[in-house]
Amino acid sequence: MAIYQIDIWGEMCPIPLIKTHRQLKKMSCGDILVLETEHSCTSRAIVLWAKENGHEIDEKEVSNGIWRLELTKRHD
Amino acid sequence: MKEITSSQWKLNLGFSLFMLLLIVLLMQVSIQLALIFALSLALGFTLQRSRFCTASAFRDPILVGTTKLTQAFILLLAISIMGFAVVANGAEILKIPLKLNVFPLGIHTIIGGILFGIGMVLAGGCVSGVLTRIGEGFAMQMFALLGLLFGTAFGGYSSPYIRSIFGEFSGVFLPDIFGWLPSVAIQLLILLILWEVTRWWHKKQNGVG
Repeated sequence: MAIYQIDIWGEMCPIPLIKTHRQLKKMSCGDILVLETEHSCTSRAIVLWAKENGHEIDEKEVSNGIWRLELTKRHD
Repeated sequence: MKEITSSQWKLNLGFSLFMLLLIVLLMQVSIQLALIFALSLALGFTLQRSRFCTASAFRDPILVGTTKLTQAFILLLAISIMGFAVVANGAEILKIPLKLNVFPLGIHTIIGGILFGIGMVLAGGCVSGVLTRIGEGFAMQMFALLGLLFGTAFGGYSSPYIRSIFGEFSGVFLPDIFGWLPSVAIQLLILLILWEVTRWWHKKQNGVG
């Protein structure tokens, strides 16, 4: 199990979503991807997408307007 | 979440008080203005809290295959169609004059729609989304706001000219043709079909869903 992190700081929808999509393809099952964003819609979109695709996701608003996401890959 | 809310309660209280006083002040000027302000305040609050993104509702099905927001948008249309029918009929019964914005349509409507869609995806949000995120302090969206203001002003001034070039059909107002009940039924049926299409699309994109 490895922990990855990609930089999506300051980027707007839908670029973070595409980057997450690509990164997830490189990872193996059980790996964790950590994302931080200050774009409220980005966080929402990634959470929705991960849930619909059956991956585990944990969303925390760590400070005002900053969201930290922990995505665990569950399948290929 | 707790430490976030507790650190800002003074600001929240101050701002709420300010807004309340502003509404009271507006009520002295005009009740209508105060009501509009209160309504827009509620709308803004809902938009910010729900983090609803219209751009995402149309973009994500094609980009990543999620259709949840698209379905939310269809639901929104269904509710507003029924709500509008109630308001329009209520106004008729209560003899309140109602101004309907039924606009003529032409090829430029479609071209404009496509341009708006492209702009929406490039700017990272529709009009409400851009405004919401500026309020949240996302400075990048200021550029989108500039473009928005420029585009609106340009569109406003050039629209008579554009309309005369493309020519147009007169606006269609369904209740005038079919009556209220059938037109609401037709619209809801179309939305139901679209709902099923999004479900089918979701299954197709994500395998078994």
